[in-house]
Amino acid sequence: MRNTIRGALLGLILVTSAGGQQVQPDVFTLDNGMKFLLLPRTDQPNSIAAGWIAKVGSVNERPGITGISHFFEHMMFKGTTTVGTSDAARDAELTARQNEVRGRIRALHLGPQYERFRAGEIADPWDPANDTDEMRELREQLRGIQDEQREITRKNEFDQIYTRLGGSGMNAFTSHDLTFYFINVPSNKLELWTWMESDRLTDSVFREFFEERDVVHEERRMRTESTPTGIYQEQFDALFWQSSPYSWPVIGWPSDLNSYTREQAEAYYETYYAPNNLCGVVVGDFDLEEAKTLITRYFSRLERREPPPPVITLEMPQLAEKRMTVTCDCPPQVEVRYPSVPFGHADEAAIEMMGEILNGRTGRLYRSLVEDQQLATSAGVRQDSRKYAGAFSFRGECQGEATPEMVEAAWYEQLARLQEEPVAPEELQKVKNQILADTYRRLETNFNLLLQLGYYEALGGWEYINTYSKEMAAVEAEDILRVAKEYFAPEKRSVAIYYRNDGAPEDPLAGFPAQIRPMLQQFVEGLPAMTADQLEEALTQLQANRGQAPAEFQGALDFMLEKASARLDELQEGGE
Amino acid sequence: MNRPNPGGPRASSLVLPLLLLLAVAAPAGAADELPSHPDEIDYGELAFEPPVAADYRHVLSNGAVLYLLPDTALPLIDVAFSFSGGSYLDPVGKEGLAALTGAMMRRGGTTSLSPEAFDQKADFLAAEISAGMGDDAAQAGLNSITANFDDAFSLFMDMVRNPGYDAARFETLKAEVIEGMKQRNDNADGILRSEWSRLMYGESHFEARQGTLASIESIGLDDMRAFHGRIFQPGNLVVGITGDFEPEAMIARLESAFAGWEAGERAPTPPAPDHDFTPGVYFVEKEIPQGKVAIGMRGLTRDHPDSTTLRVMNLILGGGGFTSRITNKVRTEEGLAYSAGSMMRPSYHYPGEFQAFFQSKSSTCALATKLILDEIDRIRAEPVSAEELDVAKASVIETFPRAFESKKAVRDLFVSEEWRPHVEGFFEGYRDRVRAITVEDIQRVAREHLDPAEMMIVLVGDWSEISPGDLDGRAKMADFFDGEATELPLRDPLTLEPIGP
Repeated sequence: MRNTIRGALLGLILVTSAGGQQVQPDVFTLDNGMKFLLLPRTDQPNSIAAGWIAKVGSVNERPGITGISHFFEHMMFKGTTTVGTSDAARDAELTARQNEVRGRIRALHLGPQYERFRAGEIADPWDPANDTDEMRELREQLRGIQDEQREITRKNEFDQIYTRLGGSGMNAFTSHDLTFYFINVPSNKLELWTWMESDRLTDSVFREFFEERDVVHEERRMRTESTPTGIYQEQFDALFWQSSPYSWPVIGWPSDLNSYTREQAEAYYETYYAPNNLCGVVVGDFDLEEAKTLITRYFSRLERREPPPPVITLEMPQLAEKRMTVTCDCPPQVEVRYPSVPFGHADEAAIEMMGEILNGRTGRLYRSLVEDQQLATSAGVRQDSRKYAGAFSFRGECQGEATPEMVEAAWYEQLARLQEEPVAPEELQKVKNQILADTYRRLETNFNLLLQLGYYEALGGWEYINTYSKEMAAVEAEDILRVAKEYFAPEKRSVAIYYRNDGAPEDPLAGFPAQIRPMLQQFVEGLPAMTADQLEEALTQLQANRGQAPAEFQGALDFMLEKASARLDELQEGGE
Repeated sequence: MNRPNPGGPRASSLVLPLLLLLAVAAPAGAADELPSHPDEIDYGELAFEPPVAADYRHVLSNGAVLYLLPDTALPLIDVAFSFSGGSYLDPVGKEGLAALTGAMMRRGGTTSLSPEAFDQKADFLAAEISAGMGDDAAQAGLNSITANFDDAFSLFMDMVRNPGYDAARFETLKAEVIEGMKQRNDNADGILRSEWSRLMYGESHFEARQGTLASIESIGLDDMRAFHGRIFQPGNLVVGITGDFEPEAMIARLESAFAGWEAGERAPTPPAPDHDFTPGVYFVEKEIPQGKVAIGMRGLTRDHPDSTTLRVMNLILGGGGFTSRITNKVRTEEGLAYSAGSMMRPSYHYPGEFQAFFQSKSSTCALATKLILDEIDRIRAEPVSAEELDVAKASVIETFPRAFESKKAVRDLFVSEEWRPHVEGFFEGYRDRVRAITVEDIQRVAREHLDPAEMMIVLVGDWSEISPGDLDGRAKMADFFDGEATELPLRDPLTLEPIGP
């Protein structure tokens, strides 16, 4: 595996066709069912991007173990019996002792502490400040064992080996549908990758299990709880998805994160990290035949297992609009989300194309909402095609004095336009030109190609990298008209409204039903322009109507009466 | 040592049959013995010498410098223009001028094309055109498929030379910038960055200056026109082009596109700060469940003789991810933070900075701070282990080629190096200089350039929860700087005036 020039292979990899530049990796499957996508290319000499995906994510979880896929991803960097300890036997013994103590602490949390919580005696059954003496004692024991284990642990040795041998950018991520592990290695180090990855896939040891849970808690605090809208977005996801396992966050609910056991993690590993549920991807400066030899030699030691259980629960059809209102340290904004289609659905390309018509500097949203109407500083849509279901979202941030409700209404206008008139041919052609150019741009780095191939393979098939541009090129104006009508009915939407918490008193309109708030807002804004006569007339009308209004609007009428009289008083005082 | 042992059994008689057995079994693959550790694998050498800028450098007739790195693998051409100049040239009272000027170039059309017409043309050609101005450099970029390059490049040059500054687009841009300002206090990380820079470089230095509503409102179209004229001219320009083209033809094309474009004066280099920070603990109150903390002091310029050694020292201390001490201690061992480490920020014209950082739940901020300060003390007090130094050096040496991994990466490096203070043989001799570093060198530079007593600790979070420290009483904020802590007021996001008590 020396650094030789293999330019001749280039012709095999890249075949130009009507759909733009095609990508043709060599597909190679071992007897144990592990598939590999191998793409030798010399655009970036001396370097290889390598990774593998496990077809598992939070969608495969259940209440009680939410977040375990992501937690598991962290555990995969803790080493093996060979890597990470100086004494494997003693390591195993100390781990068993830790498990035993941890099991007792866990039982005390889930038993007596949960009971105290239900009885209202403590606010949080997991807060260490609420620990009983027995629990404190056990924690002390646990710390003793951890300190002992630390003496024989070769800390982060997995990282250390890769680092000193030239690996860089090593990382992993977990999503709803997949877990991805990747790194860049110098082109003479492909065997290092095959050694390290097949080792941790055969023989992972979940060291520092409990310390790492604390790390994930901090990750949750950082990503979700200390960002302007993180916890509200999490709540919106849970509101949007009804029955689907997509309703919980990838990082998991904190109570579950507190209670995973090593046995649960090991069972997860057994079930989902079987070679027949994995796919390796290698892109860069390597020799194809040598790579196959190495991969066969190392990854064949993984044993094929039963295919993992299928995801059964389907998302229930949405019957009524859902809505939530938030006040936070965040720009005023709105999100409107609709159930759409999963990855690979026959309507996916038309919906994506509808999104492209709306997005970008020459897209409809920027031109209308940002420039012409000056309601938003940014506005865009996104189709989120997951493996088992999909969602389509509009988001807009308010400009100047515009309210989230005004941006929301402007989105509905744009939607109505898409439902009523076909998009112009040049709008469609513009997007198709860009997609064609992007088929080249996506090939510019090895790492980017690796991510795309792995991601698509996990969701349904790597071939999507080629079929996507062809299907987009085939979308016609009528297709967009059809999907705009089919997927975006008012009862299908979920709406999140965010107001800025500016330290001022609560939004005076917050308590009123959403459908009349814009009207109230307009009324209040219109008051300064009204003359005393007009105000008196309005007051008379309001009073006359008050008796006949439905009960839920009584409050609103009172509010309008109050504001109108206050303004009238102001005018009269000023006039004296 | 190999010594014969005439009295014992001949080894070969016992071992040979076994070897034969293995030799038969190995080709079948079943009993193929894998190396027991990655260090046993023979990887062979990877020969690599960094490319030399002079081999790719041209000077155009108007004085602009050009780097050409053709690469015909894909039918794409990528053009990068880099101009010296940036927000350090913003006049007092007009903070934000550089940023607005850069942004308006791409948005405001040209003197002959309306913004809408410009955008439509660019999008229809599938050309990615960009422009912007940062702290110390301005950029303009084009990425186009070869087939559309002629039209796309003309459009790009029109933007660079004749920006239109459309008034309506300027209003939209200002609304966006003001909305962005209003978000200044929303995110704790943003507050930490701003306060850190003010303390470190002083409020009047460009690293710390920020626009206000008043400074943005004071900027007019003519201000931007004048600023553009000063910066976006060939005397200030380095061009780098990669992709699918013939060098001779590209030079000819540039010469004709640059015709009549007169070179002006080079922008001055960014000024050094004239401010020294006062060591101590500083905090900004914000009610979040996690404190964000930065600890550090000023560092070195790149041409300082210790800069490479200090970088390797920092890899061991906190810059090497999971192989470094701070990450190991704070994250792996104690589980106190998701991200914890340290960095040596590179700098060219004046000393940069060292910064250790983490975020942790309020009660353990003091503990994590203490652990980091202990690690800084330790790397000064004791020599690092030979193994730690080997890992850090090997990593720098082995990943060195990645800085040159693609034509674009090389192009970007050459372009940004053009006006940096030159260090003779910096890249060519880099790996040898790293190989020569000893454990004594590491300790010496740590002692000379790091000192916890001379650092500042800056924190954003819920001070009343953070200050008492952890439940086990291992650390509290009063442990640092004799318990002195300075509260920094939150600032009004539009005026930057302190608000609250």
